[in-house]
Amino acid sequence: MRVYEELFIVKPDATEEEIGQVVEQVQSAIISGGGAVAKIDKWGVRTLAYRVRKQGEGYYVLMQFNSGPETVKEIERRLRVSDLVLKFLTVRIDEKLKRVEKRKKQREARAARRPAPPAPAPEQPVSVPGTPEPQSEKE
Amino acid sequence: MPEQRRRPIAASQRPTGGDKAIAGTKKQYFRRRKVCRFCVEKIDYIDYKDVRLLSAFISERGRITPRRITGVCTPHQRRLSEAVKQARNIALLPFAANA
Repeated sequence: MRVYEELFIVKPDATEEEIGQVVEQVQSAIISGGGAVAKIDKWGVRTLAYRVRKQGEGYYVLMQFNSGPETVKEIERRLRVSDLVLKFLTVRIDEKLKRVEKRKKQREARAARRPAPPAPAPEQPVSVPGTPEPQSEKE
Repeated sequence: MPEQRRRPIAASQRPTGGDKAIAGTKKQYFRRRKVCRFCVEKIDYIDYKDVRLLSAFISERGRITPRRITGVCTPHQRRLSEAVKQARNIALLPFAANA
C-alpha cells in the first residue's frame, strides 16, 4: 500500500453536485481497489496560473488516500475521461512522509541528548573571520 | 565579472545569515553570508501546494531563481525545483509569466 495525493481541477462553472459526482467517482475507484480515503479537501475556485482549456479559473480538489499502484491508474483514467476535469496531478507521498518523520525523530533525539535551556554560552564558537560557519543543518 | 548582487525582493524574505563580512580581493565590500532558508526554518518537506513559499523562489517571469542568488543549499534546491515543476503542472505556478 502506498500513500498518494491527488490534486485535480474541475471546471469552475460546474455545480456543487457535479463536483461531488467527480469526487464520488474517484472515491469509489479507491474503495473498489481496496484502498482508503484519508482526506478530501476542497480548495474552491482559484485563478489558474495559465489558461487551461480556455478556462482562467478552476475548482481545486485535493484527496489523500492509500492504495496500490493499479488504483492510481484507474483513477487517472476516470479523471481523463471526465469532461469536467481540466487537469490532475498524482503524487506519491509515503516516502516523503517517511523522510519527514525520520528528520523529526532525529531532531528530537538531538534535543533530548543536549539539555537546551541551561548553559547556552559554551555553544557559541568564537567566529574566526574568513572561515565559514559550520552548517548545523545539512541533509 | 562583477559579483551578482542579491535581488531586493529576496532580501526581505530571507533570514539574516549573521553579519559576517567577506572582504573582496581588491575592493573592500561587505556581503552578508547567504544561508539556506529551508535549513534555517527546518522545512523538511517542500510542498508543491505551498504557492506562497514557492513564489519566493521564482522570478517575475516565472523562472526558478538560481541558488547562487537565493543561497539555498543543493539538496533543498533540488527538492525546490521539483516542487516548482509540480506546481506548474497543476497550474498553481506559471510556466512563463509575461513580465
